[in-house]
Amino acid sequence: MDADAFLARARSGLAGVAAPPLPGTRPPTPASGDGRLFDRFAEELEKAGGTARWVNRQDLSAEVYELAIEMGAAAAVVSDDVDEFRERIDRGLADAGCAVGPVSREAAAAADLGVTGAVAGVCSTGSVLLRAAPASPRIASLLPPAHVAILHEAVLVPGFEELFDVLGEQLLEANAAVLVTGPSRTSDIELTLVRGVHGPKRMTALVVREE
Amino acid sequence: MTAGEERAGTFAELAHVQLEKPGLRRAIGSAMDRFVVNRANAFAGADLEAMRAAGEAIRAHTVARLDVYLAQFAEAAEARGTKVFFAADGAEAVEYVRGVVRGHGATRVAKGKSMASEEIGLNHALEADGVDVVETDLGEYIVQVAHEPPSHIIVPAIHKTRQDVAELFNDVHHTDLPADPPELTRFARELLRDRFLSADVGITGVNFAVADAGAVVIVTNEGNGRMCSTLPKVHVALMGMERIVPSFRELAVMLPLLTGSATGQRVTAYLNVIGGPRGPDDVDGPDEVHVVILDNGRSRLLGTEYRSVLHCIRCGACQNVCPVYRQVGGHGYGAVYGGPIGAVLTPLLDGFERAGDLPYASSLCAACTDVCPVRIPLHEHLLSLRRDVARERAGAAERSAFRTWSAVWSRPWSYRLAARLGRAGQVVFARGGRIRRAPFPLSRWTSGRDLPPIASRTFRERWKRTRRGSRNGAPDGR
Repeated sequence: MDADAFLARARSGLAGVAAPPLPGTRPPTPASGDGRLFDRFAEELEKAGGTARWVNRQDLSAEVYELAIEMGAAAAVVSDDVDEFRERIDRGLADAGCAVGPVSREAAAAADLGVTGAVAGVCSTGSVLLRAAPASPRIASLLPPAHVAILHEAVLVPGFEELFDVLGEQLLEANAAVLVTGPSRTSDIELTLVRGVHGPKRMTALVVREE
Repeated sequence: MTAGEERAGTFAELAHVQLEKPGLRRAIGSAMDRFVVNRANAFAGADLEAMRAAGEAIRAHTVARLDVYLAQFAEAAEARGTKVFFAADGAEAVEYVRGVVRGHGATRVAKGKSMASEEIGLNHALEADGVDVVETDLGEYIVQVAHEPPSHIIVPAIHKTRQDVAELFNDVHHTDLPADPPELTRFARELLRDRFLSADVGITGVNFAVADAGAVVIVTNEGNGRMCSTLPKVHVALMGMERIVPSFRELAVMLPLLTGSATGQRVTAYLNVIGGPRGPDDVDGPDEVHVVILDNGRSRLLGTEYRSVLHCIRCGACQNVCPVYRQVGGHGYGAVYGGPIGAVLTPLLDGFERAGDLPYASSLCAACTDVCPVRIPLHEHLLSLRRDVARERAGAAERSAFRTWSAVWSRPWSYRLAARLGRAGQVVFARGGRIRRAPFPLSRWTSGRDLPPIASRTFRERWKRTRRGSRNGAPDGR
C-alpha cells in the first residue's frame, strides 16, 4: 500500500483522539545503579551466567592467557576495536598457543574464542554494548563458542536510563548494535535453562581498571 | 482479513481435545507457575506500579499518535538505507516478502521468531514458492518440525515434554537423542548453524521500532535474531504497525517491562538494535534491510473503545496467569494469539464470524488485567466484546427468551412462581445433588458445567419460618 494512504487510514482512525503526554520523569527500572559500579556489574553478569574480571592493564596478557588455557582455545579472532589493548591480548593468546587471525566469516566460524572491545557496560544488568563498525565486526562476538569483551572501567554506566541517554547519539548512527548479557541461552524445552544455543556458550567481560 | 488458515474448530471443541491430553495441564500449569515466580523476582525491589503506569502512558501516547510516529520512523529508516514497506493486510505483506525473496533468487530463508509472520501465514506462502524456510528459535523449530502452530507467545513449544521433543527429533532426523534438554539443544544448534551460514534471506519479527532513530529492536536469548539479521545478505523485519516507541528514552522504560513480564529477566541475553544495512567498510551485516509494517485490521481499532489492545507488547504474561489458558493451552483457542490477549485481539482482527466465541473463553477473573505491564483492561474488553458479539448474533428467539426471563424475575410474585416451578421441574435432572444435564437450550450451558439444584426451601421460605420461629422463642427455623 502507498505509504501516504496507509498513514491516512491511521490518521482518520485517530481523528478526535487526544494523546496523553509522555511521562515526564521515568521510574527507575529494576535495581538501576547503586553501589560500586564494577561490583554491581560483576554480580549481575554472574547472575546471567557470565563472568566479569577486574584487571590492571599490565595484567591483561596474563588474564587473556589464563582464559585461553581454561577454554582450551586453539584459534581465536580478535576485532580491531580492542586497539590499545591489542598487543597485550595477542601476547596472552600466543603464550597460550592460540592462533590469532583477522576476523572473517570463515575464521570466526572456526574459532574457539572471539575477543572484542565494547563501547559501554551497564551495571544494573551486567551487560556490554557492542557497536558494529568496520573495526567491530558483529561475527567476532557471535560465531565462536566463547566471547571475551574488553572494556575500560570509564565506560561503565549505572543503568539503562544512562545508557540510552549517553549513547542515544551513538545508537542513532550505528548500523547495528547489540547489548550482550551473558552467554546465549534457551528455556524452550520444559523451561529448562540451557546455555549456549546459537551464540557463545561462555561470555566473559574484562574490565580494565584505570590506575 | 487474515491469510492464516481456517480455525481448526470452536473454542469448545478444541478445548475438549486439549483437556483429554494426558499430562498437558500439568506441564502447562507448572511452567506457568515458574513464569509467575520469575516475574516476581525480576521486579523485586522495583516500583512495578510506577513502571506499569509509565509503560501505559508511553503506549497510550504513542498509539494515539501512531500516524505521526510511523511517518517519522519511515523517514529516519529510509535515510539510513532501510527499505520500508507499508502493508495494508496480510496478503500485501506476504506478496512483498515473496518479491524480496524472489528478487534475490533466494532458496533458503532463516527465520527468527515472529508472531506477525504467523498471523499472515508467511511460511506457507514461501514454502509454496519452493523456498526452504527454517525456524531458528528452538521452540519455533520444534513446532515447525511437528507441523503445529506455536502454543505460547514466548515459549512456543511449552506443550511438549522433553520426551516429546526427543521422539520428534529422532523420528524426523533418524537420530537416537536422549530426552535431555542440553543434548537436544546441542543437536539443534549444530543443525541450525549450517542453516544460518547458508541462508540467503533472514526474516525476523520486531519488538520495538524506535521512531526518531529509524531503528528496530529485537530481543532474544538464543541469539537467533542476531544470526538472522547479521549473516544473510538480506534481512526482512516484519512488525505490526503499533510496535513503535518515540525514542530510546522510552525504550529504556519499555524494555524491562517486556523482558521482566515475558521471561522474568531484567534484560535478555541479546538486545539487537538494527539501524540499517552494512556500511561500505563493514566486514559483515546485510546488504539490504527491509522493514514491513503491517496493518491487517489494526487501524480499524484506533478510533474504537478497543484501541488499548494495540498497546500490547506481546509479553505473554496474561497467558501465564489465565486460569483458562492454563487448562487448555494455546492450541485450545485455535488462533495465532491464545490466552486473554488472543481472546480480545483475534475477534477484533478476524471478525466475530470466525472468532466470536473467544471472548467467552474466560472466567472474567481479571488476573490478566492485573498482570499486564501496560495495564490494558483485558477483562473489560472481553466483557465488551461479549456484548458486541451478542448484539450481532443473538437470534429473535434468544432475545425474546431473555426478555421473558427479565420480566419474570423483575416481579416478586412471578419470581416466586418461577422458583417453585423450577424446583418441581428439576427433579428429572438433578442427580446426586447436582444438575448435570438440563434440557435444550440450557444443555449448551450444562455441557460444560454442573449446577447446584434449586434449594428444597428457598431463602424467602426459610426467612419466613425463621421469623415465625424466633417470635415463638426458637433460635432458628430448622
